[in-house]
Amino acid sequence: MSYEWIALMMFSSMMLMLLTGQRVFGAIGFVAMVSSLLLWGNGGSEMAFSASIKLLNWYPLLTLPLFIFMGYMLSESGIASDLYHMLHVWMGRVRGGLAIGTIVLMVAISAMNGLSVAGMAIGSSIALPEMLKRKYDKKMITGVIQAGSSLGILVPPSVVLVLYGMIARQPVSHLWLAGVVPGLLLATMFIIYIAIRCRLQPELGPVLDEDERKISIPEKLKLLHTGLIPLFIIFSVIGLFVMGVTSLVESSAVGALAATLAALFKRRLTFKVLEATMVKTLNVSSMFMWIILAALCFGAVFDGLGAVKAIEHLFLDKWGLSPWEVLILMQLSYIIMGMFLDDTAMLVIVAPLYIPLIIALNFNAIWYGVLYTITCQIAYMTPPFGYNLFLMKAMAPKEITLRDIYLSITPFVLVMIVALILIMVFPQIALWLPEKVFAN
Amino acid sequence: MPKVIKLYVRYIEMLNRTVGRITMYLIFVMMGILLFATISRSVFNVPYIWVIEMAQFTMAAYYLLGGAYTLQNDAHVRMDLLYDRWSPKKRAFADSLTAFCLVFYLGVLLYGGFSSTQYALEYGQKNYSAWAPPMAPIKIIMTIGIFLMLLQAIAMFFRDLATVTGKDIA
Repeated sequence: MSYEWIALMMFSSMMLMLLTGQRVFGAIGFVAMVSSLLLWGNGGSEMAFSASIKLLNWYPLLTLPLFIFMGYMLSESGIASDLYHMLHVWMGRVRGGLAIGTIVLMVAISAMNGLSVAGMAIGSSIALPEMLKRKYDKKMITGVIQAGSSLGILVPPSVVLVLYGMIARQPVSHLWLAGVVPGLLLATMFIIYIAIRCRLQPELGPVLDEDERKISIPEKLKLLHTGLIPLFIIFSVIGLFVMGVTSLVESSAVGALAATLAALFKRRLTFKVLEATMVKTLNVSSMFMWIILAALCFGAVFDGLGAVKAIEHLFLDKWGLSPWEVLILMQLSYIIMGMFLDDTAMLVIVAPLYIPLIIALNFNAIWYGVLYTITCQIAYMTPPFGYNLFLMKAMAPKEITLRDIYLSITPFVLVMIVALILIMVFPQIALWLPEKVFAN
Repeated sequence: MPKVIKLYVRYIEMLNRTVGRITMYLIFVMMGILLFATISRSVFNVPYIWVIEMAQFTMAAYYLLGGAYTLQNDAHVRMDLLYDRWSPKKRAFADSLTAFCLVFYLGVLLYGGFSSTQYALEYGQKNYSAWAPPMAPIKIIMTIGIFLMLLQAIAMFFRDLATVTGKDIA
């Protein structure tokens, strides 16, 4: 049997194992170990544990539990919801103002948090009911929350980009900075879309009534200082890191501390909050680590088989594709796989195959990291099996049906595709900031 | 269910819960080590060579010792395309069939952990770094974590089996 066939068998048996609903790490690890034992006999058995040593020696991975801790601390202690109330009061006068405010909120949450689930949870539990109460169009606002929360993995600190950096062997600092401008570009495009849409159809996002708008100026200013806390946290993570005071890993510890201090300062650091934060952090970190552990092992077997060379041969020699055609084909395959897999699983399984090819084709791996992230987000939002769609259904109030959710995302997905094409045509959108910061 | 199995499930789950609830505090140890490093380096200009590895060792202990508890919490993602639509009984049935795969993977992992720890003990293996700490202690901790994970996976299998046969277990 040729190596290509073994690789194909491994891939399809893994997909089959995943379909049984067994935990992702167990399914990947099992297929990897069986193939490794069959291929290399007893020598292959060491592979599983040596992956854990590889993981141990990978320093930037320490940011993962710390950023997860930071995110949960902010949402459990209610600091994120304070921020929403501030935006609510300040943006109420504008048509569609609450929806625009929600996008701004999502950018702020993204800059304090590395996962997109957190933004979705806060958006659908706090912002969504408030907007429904004020007669905002439900299709509009479900789309807003899904689109907004997708910024979570693009704006630094981003856990997905940390993992991408590990697999692509690229500096995480460059990747993070590369995500800043595209993230803000997307947010701006979302806001422009909402503003235009609400100007044309005012019934989609009505202004607040007189009573609600009558809030005195001192009270408004008082609310404004809740906005200072996120600024303080964002500075302590990204600011200190970009200025070169702290390293990447150190800044994640500073961020975790800053979030804890903010909760303490707000008198929200009860034992209940602390306990919930700790349990959730352990759950999510451990889940990530075990998947990476199994996937490293899977990747090592694939490497041993020369699967990367096989794919390169298939795309370039057999099908005779140009580099750009290969790139677009890869993006499309992500969209198809995103219907079935979640982001970590997809990243650790497919990226090790694609990224060496991207580098061999002379594309910039940092730029590709941004493209990859946006494509993943589009994939999770595309029916019928978008991962985010179901998450949204689980979190949103009952009056929002799956049909509403399906219909709501169309305009936002179109906006994201436009942004994706812009970044593909003008790589400088992503690469300008890291080049500027790391020039000297 | 035989009494031995009931006792096994009860005690293993209790053990792993206790270990997990203690392990979750290690996040503060990681934070502490890194903050100490940040302050001593940037404020007092005194870099320490042991901080990076110490933080890494803590992280390895964190996710491996805490693993069994998170398995108990059902925190590990599954591809829920079909799984989500099944009844609890059908889910338990599927899980009890594929439990073998999980146990097999953890078994191989444990085997690798044993032989690697044995090597580290026998030859006094040290990490390649300026600090050069011995590798045996962390490898022992990691192997224990994997062993606890294996014990938990077996306990979950018994639980699923009980759900499928409609019997009471704890």
